[in-house]
Amino acid sequence: MGGPAASAAPPMLQLTNLSKTFESSHGTVVALERVGIEIGRGEFVTVVGPSGCGKSTLFNILAGLAEPDAGAQILYNGEPRKAPELLGKVAFMPQRDLLLPWRRVVDNAILPLQVEGVPRAEALKRAEPLFSEFGLAGFERHYPQQLSGGMRQRVALMRTFLFERDLTLLDEPFGALDALTRSLMQRWLLEVWQRHQRTILFITHDVEEAIFLGDRVLVMTARPGRIKLVLDVPLARPRPASMLTSPEFIDLKRQVLAAIEEESIKSFQQVAET
Amino acid sequence: MRAGFASQIAALLGLFVLWEVCVRVFDVAPHNMPAASAVLRDMAANTDLIGRGIVRTLSETLIGFAIGAAIGFVFGSAFAVSRALERLLFPLFIVSQAIPVIAFGALVVMWLGNDIWSKVAIAAYLTAFPVTVNTCRGMQAVDPQRVALLRSFGAGAWVLYWRLRVPYALPSIAAALKLGISLGLIGAIVGEWFGDTVGLGIMLLQAMYNENLPRVWSVILVCGAIGILLYSAFEAIERRWIWWKQEI
Amino acid sequence: MRGFLFAAAGPLLVVALWEAIVRALVVPVYVLPAPSAIVLKVWTDLPALLGGLSTTLMEASIGYAIGAAGALILAMLFVLYPRLERVALPALVALNSVPVVAFAPVALLWFGSGPASKIAMVTIAVGFAVFVNAHQGLCSVDESAANLLRSFGAGPLRLMVLLRLPAALPSIMNGLRVAVVRSMIIAIVAEMLGAVSGLGWTIFESTQQMDFLRAWAAIAVASAASMAWYGLVNWIDHRFVFWR
Repeated sequence: MGGPAASAAPPMLQLTNLSKTFESSHGTVVALERVGIEIGRGEFVTVVGPSGCGKSTLFNILAGLAEPDAGAQILYNGEPRKAPELLGKVAFMPQRDLLLPWRRVVDNAILPLQVEGVPRAEALKRAEPLFSEFGLAGFERHYPQQLSGGMRQRVALMRTFLFERDLTLLDEPFGALDALTRSLMQRWLLEVWQRHQRTILFITHDVEEAIFLGDRVLVMTARPGRIKLVLDVPLARPRPASMLTSPEFIDLKRQVLAAIEEESIKSFQQVAET
Repeated sequence: MRAGFASQIAALLGLFVLWEVCVRVFDVAPHNMPAASAVLRDMAANTDLIGRGIVRTLSETLIGFAIGAAIGFVFGSAFAVSRALERLLFPLFIVSQAIPVIAFGALVVMWLGNDIWSKVAIAAYLTAFPVTVNTCRGMQAVDPQRVALLRSFGAGAWVLYWRLRVPYALPSIAAALKLGISLGLIGAIVGEWFGDTVGLGIMLLQAMYNENLPRVWSVILVCGAIGILLYSAFEAIERRWIWWKQEI
Repeated sequence: MRGFLFAAAGPLLVVALWEAIVRALVVPVYVLPAPSAIVLKVWTDLPALLGGLSTTLMEASIGYAIGAAGALILAMLFVLYPRLERVALPALVALNSVPVVAFAPVALLWFGSGPASKIAMVTIAVGFAVFVNAHQGLCSVDESAANLLRSFGAGPLRLMVLLRLPAALPSIMNGLRVAVVRSMIIAIVAEMLGAVSGLGWTIFESTQQMDFLRAWAAIAVASAASMAWYGLVNWIDHRFVFWR
């Protein structure tokens, strides 16, 4: 059973003073400003914020693909780490599924294992039980081009889960899906999470999704991105769909919307000004 | 290939120096490989002759290339748009390319005369095929969803062609044009071998028969310089106008 | 089968037209022989022509193999070692700018009139053609996909094998296809400058001796071989690069 870290163990991930500035032909852009986050083991934390608030930049840094500005402190399981050391330590799922068109579904799923050096037979054995869980039974030998958007996302998710790492980053995995598929995928994701006991950091645009899925919701400001609000979601798990209209949920939603509304307008104006 | 004009010149100078040093250090016999300095001296002493050769060969190349590229573009587009046309005429193109046009250069000269136009014909012939293939493939690579999208905006066939297929095909076409210009130069030079009096190809042949090695290398260098110029020009155009990468 | 017939329709039409025009206008043989005459000549001279074909084909295919392999390896090395690329690429581009045929006199001088000089010529011609395409293909890979693989811990070598090479395959196949045509032509051209056997030498000799029909027969054989080879490469392309 997942939930807010009740144990006294140090948080799995602690970020302090994380900033990121970009130099471009248009001038200096401060994507992230002194972001501080704490994530406990086994937590499901959602991040919500307006467009351009630096969510994806944050994820790139956490995946080890980008370096934060000097002065950032990253504590991983209580030990200080430099950002590039995180490369290969985090299971990262970017917004696009990026399935390789020349590989079958099964080969796409085991891709990270092959990169790790796991022999193919072993990798296939590990992937085997997950196909039905991820709703892909019978489609193992298909090619990505033959699948629907929802199924491709599930292949990408399976690929991410097969890469067994402490921290899993999901960047708007359901963004491209229709609302019906999305709600099914949300409930299914929670089941998978509880079964596999991973720590998940989840980006979304959708406030309801953020509250429904998360133990905690982090609201980010418009650029430069900061953490504006950290909201605990004390709703009991497992969470049925009916919870979406409960008074507690609506109250939480009101709080998040209030925080985000302001930022959305700012972000909109920023774009209008450039 | 992205190599700036300046760095190519630098590389050439580097090769020159290396060449001179190697010839001297390894005491290479001049009938195997003349010294770089000897070649440069030959070039300097014959600027008039070389200049005339350049003008002739360059004209043959450029005109032939332009014609060939135009033909290739037209046919490639036609093939991309009409499957039926492609299946009917594309094999013809392939067959025509399988025929080594170089081989019947003598016949081309007979048909078109021993002047500039036979060389133009050969250069055009060589350029047309790669441009056709790459234009066709490039345009066919547009995904149907984008076509559908533009159609939903009310785009007619012409708009679809210019705003979607052409831009999509441009990276491919650019690659073919870069190849085509070098093929055009080859066509011009070999065409000259079949009978002419002016041109770099003829100078090369005569130098070979006379075993005038510095001259052979002079012409090679001049051809290379022309090649670099043409290629860099295309690279610059490509960089300025065609900067988007292919999606996976 | 229907597809093949449809494909053959165009060329057959042209051949039929050609025959008709030559007969109708009574075109002399030295200007343009009739297809029927060429076919007859091929038949009567078959052993000699096949002998020449085997030489030329051998030169072209060996040069093709070496050139393509070398180009691929070089393109991969350039991507794996950017410093090498920065130094060597401009030199390569400069060398590439010299029209390949201009090196023919040098090849003949260094390697003699035998097959070696032709193989050398074909190697550099094919090498450059394949390199341009391979290099472009390897470099045009989507950065997001590369980043994803890096997040799995992939180093540059794994990235090359798992991502860049397969993604570049369509480009590489394009290069390989174009190179087929080039290799036969270059082999023949090189033979025309100086050789002891081969179809190019046959064509040259025949033209010298004013036996144009024989020249056309040799051209026909060379063309047929090129087409078969091109067809093979095309088939490989369709069979193995299916995700275009």
